[in-house]
Amino acid sequence: MLDVFSYVKACSLVGAGLAIGLGAIGSAIGEGLTAGKANETLSYRPELAGEILKTMLVGQAVAESAAIFALVVAMLMFFTNPVGKPLLAAWAFLGSGLGMGLSAIGSGIGSGFVSATACEGIGRQPAAKSAINSLMLIGASITQSTAIYGFLVSLMLLFIGFPESADISRSFALLGAGLSTGFGGIGPGIGEGLTGSLAVTAVARNPEQVSKVTRTMLVGQAIAESTGIYALIVALLLIMVV
Amino acid sequence: MEISGPDFIKGLAFLGAGLAMGLGAIGPGVGEGFAAGKACEAVGRKPEEAGLLTRTMLVGQAVSESTGIYALVVALLLLFVV
Repeated sequence: MLDVFSYVKACSLVGAGLAIGLGAIGSAIGEGLTAGKANETLSYRPELAGEILKTMLVGQAVAESAAIFALVVAMLMFFTNPVGKPLLAAWAFLGSGLGMGLSAIGSGIGSGFVSATACEGIGRQPAAKSAINSLMLIGASITQSTAIYGFLVSLMLLFIGFPESADISRSFALLGAGLSTGFGGIGPGIGEGLTGSLAVTAVARNPEQVSKVTRTMLVGQAIAESTGIYALIVALLLIMVV
Repeated sequence: MEISGPDFIKGLAFLGAGLAMGLGAIGPGVGEGFAAGKACEAVGRKPEEAGLLTRTMLVGQAVSESTGIYALVVALLLLFVV
């Protein structure tokens, strides 16, 4: 017969695996895209090796941050002490792992798109490298926002206090909160990455128009963010209200 | 743990709300991002048409947003009505 302690402990370990297992997907794909484009660009502009390597590493560092959030959540769950936690905490751990892991996928892939075209753009227009680098940093940081929502919801699910006994509906609500913010982070992350990558390409083609392109990019990314915010709101309602 | 029928139904409705909003957010996010990216590309090519391009982008994104809003409505119904 399973006691509550073993049940919660087991779920915390599954949650840790889900968080870093799913969370590693996006960052790795994004960084690989960046490295691939950097190599392709270097094949025809080998004299720019230093510049392109620098941009590639900065872009990959931004893409990595989503996986680092996932690693932090996995470690927290791995070392958490489930003594005295109620059964509801088991569901919260599963929701937390899914929320963090899934939301990191979109952010990782999206910021990889941005830094990939930044490497390509520097190869095409080395004179505009500072404009390209700063636009890449803005665009790639915005793609990370949905991973940050996932991180926030995961931490809430980990550290919020739960009542000793609760209805089964509350358990499903906690799992649903993780799924909402997790899946909801994928689309905006990838979409904002597409926007950022085409904006970087546009600046590399026409560096004088950097302010107009940046403005259009920010407006577009704000709208792409909206569904991620709906998902965050639904997750918060599921945790706090129901 | 005692599980009653109505409680179980309510629980699965909450799970459905999470899935509806989560999965429903994927498409609009990617689509709106794609539209905005193409608009950036176009502004880079023809900066004097930035106003027209931004307006067209916003109309296109509003249409693309609609399925995300359907998902939000369904999620809120599952949360508060069921």
